[in-house]
Amino acid sequence: MGTAKEGSELKINPIECRKLWHTYPGGFNALKETDIDVSTGEIVGIVGQNGSGKTTLVKHFNGLLKPSSGTVLINGIDTAEESVFDLSRHAGYVFQNPNHQLFATSVMSELQFGPNNLGLSEDEVLARVEDTAELFQLQDVIMEHPLRLSFPLRKIVAMASIYAMRPSIFILDEPTTGQDHNGAAMVRKLVKQLHSEGNTVILVSHDMALIAEVADRVVAMWAAEVIDSGTPREIFSNSTTLKKTMLHPPQATQLSQRLHGRVLPRITLTVDETIDALAQVADT
Amino acid sequence: MAHHLPIPVTFVPGNSWFHRLHPTPKLIWATGALVLAFSTRNPLFLLCLFLLGLLFVILARVLTTYGRVLVILLPISLSLIVFQAIAPAFPQPWIPIAELGPFTIYQEGIYSGLSILLRSWAGANFAALLVLTTHPSDLFTALQKLGLPHELNFMVSASIQLIPIVQREFMIVLSAQRSRAMQATGFGAAIPSIVPVFAGTIDRVQQLSMSLASRAFGSKGTKTNIRDIRVSTKDYVSGIVGVAITIIGTWLLISYRDRLDWSEIAFLPGWLSIAMVVGAAVTFIGTMIYFWRKANI
Repeated sequence: MGTAKEGSELKINPIECRKLWHTYPGGFNALKETDIDVSTGEIVGIVGQNGSGKTTLVKHFNGLLKPSSGTVLINGIDTAEESVFDLSRHAGYVFQNPNHQLFATSVMSELQFGPNNLGLSEDEVLARVEDTAELFQLQDVIMEHPLRLSFPLRKIVAMASIYAMRPSIFILDEPTTGQDHNGAAMVRKLVKQLHSEGNTVILVSHDMALIAEVADRVVAMWAAEVIDSGTPREIFSNSTTLKKTMLHPPQATQLSQRLHGRVLPRITLTVDETIDALAQVADT
Repeated sequence: MAHHLPIPVTFVPGNSWFHRLHPTPKLIWATGALVLAFSTRNPLFLLCLFLLGLLFVILARVLTTYGRVLVILLPISLSLIVFQAIAPAFPQPWIPIAELGPFTIYQEGIYSGLSILLRSWAGANFAALLVLTTHPSDLFTALQKLGLPHELNFMVSASIQLIPIVQREFMIVLSAQRSRAMQATGFGAAIPSIVPVFAGTIDRVQQLSMSLASRAFGSKGTKTNIRDIRVSTKDYVSGIVGVAITIIGTWLLISYRDRLDWSEIAFLPGWLSIAMVVGAAVTFIGTMIYFWRKANI
């Protein structure tokens, strides 16, 4: 996490994309002229339809994909010239499907894998495993085989295995997909926890309720381009962006939009906010 | 970049003569080429067979895709020259023709290495022609019409269709592990990469079997296919020509086996043998280094 702190002292954004293009073999342009800056400690939600370029974009943040043209700087490091191994110290990518990641015979080994790859001392690795297991509430299953755990819990283990490496940037690809209510709540709590520790979080998600609740900023993508960027309130109020990206705001927001002007004085983003607004109206 | 490394061994859509040819004659040609290639060690014959296969691949307009397969096949097969040259898979005594540092290069080794190399390339050309120009469903239908049991046929076709899925899965898993600072080389990379792929494949196959069972896969009676393929005169002619060439060719190759054995006739000059072995070794090592570097950036 030292890098993030150093980065903020030097006022280097953890993520800077400049005129980023990505063309897949075969000539398909998955990203066109993309410019994005993400500040230290910011939670950015990336939204858009399937195929809009979200995953292609975030795969540039830890060097899994290299720019066809343009530059991507992660904590000031040009990803085109750095290996995924070196970038993994800065940016941790949690894949959508935990089954792609989990291979070890116990949750503990899974948590040790990343820190071991980074060449940390045994004591440091064990300390990190202990911390991580506590934060992600995995103590009870620490010796279990990951593939015997429920799918939602496997996703939490996958997140934890990245957290154990202590990157300063977390990229979470569809973290709530396949999660039950408790699992989704756990993800929200963890995202907030990462944020409170000063980390930068990138959320790629179709879960608008999650984005509305935790994101500081939303980046909307459509047809390989960033078409809008702003606070969740701005994006979910922008009918042009919503129409173009075919996104639906969270149900609480949709309800408040319907009641706005007649019953509610403002547009709300979350259920709690809507309840508060309705309570205020009832009181008056 | 590792992302681009999977070997594409799937059907390439097209409208060439080979694409339009019935799968059965292509299957006959591929089998025939393998039978002929394994009936002789004569390098000239094997070279001609290789060139014929390459010509067909070019005419089928799948050379670009096949070229990516060759990039993988090339260093592996060139390593055969190196190993065979110094330790021939040939009955002793061996005739030494050159010295390369502490190693002795043998005539039988060069001959054997070249034969195995050309044999594998010739076989690969015809196999690629079959796979790259035949839709998996057409192969399924053709094998069914040849009388292969439906269940066995489905197993073969499903396995072929599973290859690109497993390839894609492997690349995703590799990316996931590289994101956890795994160096993508060596034995240490094998378990983290292979376990999730195997676990995923077993899970997929289990789900597929349940899905098939729930859709009457095991029912008795005649099965129909959505894709139907018709046999034309050219298909019959191609098949008959393929069978005839295979039978006659194999008979001739076996009958003239002694005359076609050039292992003690076709001597290469010492310097050319050394150049060949060194060239093969440099290409093999160079390609390995290239892929290693690609995998780690």
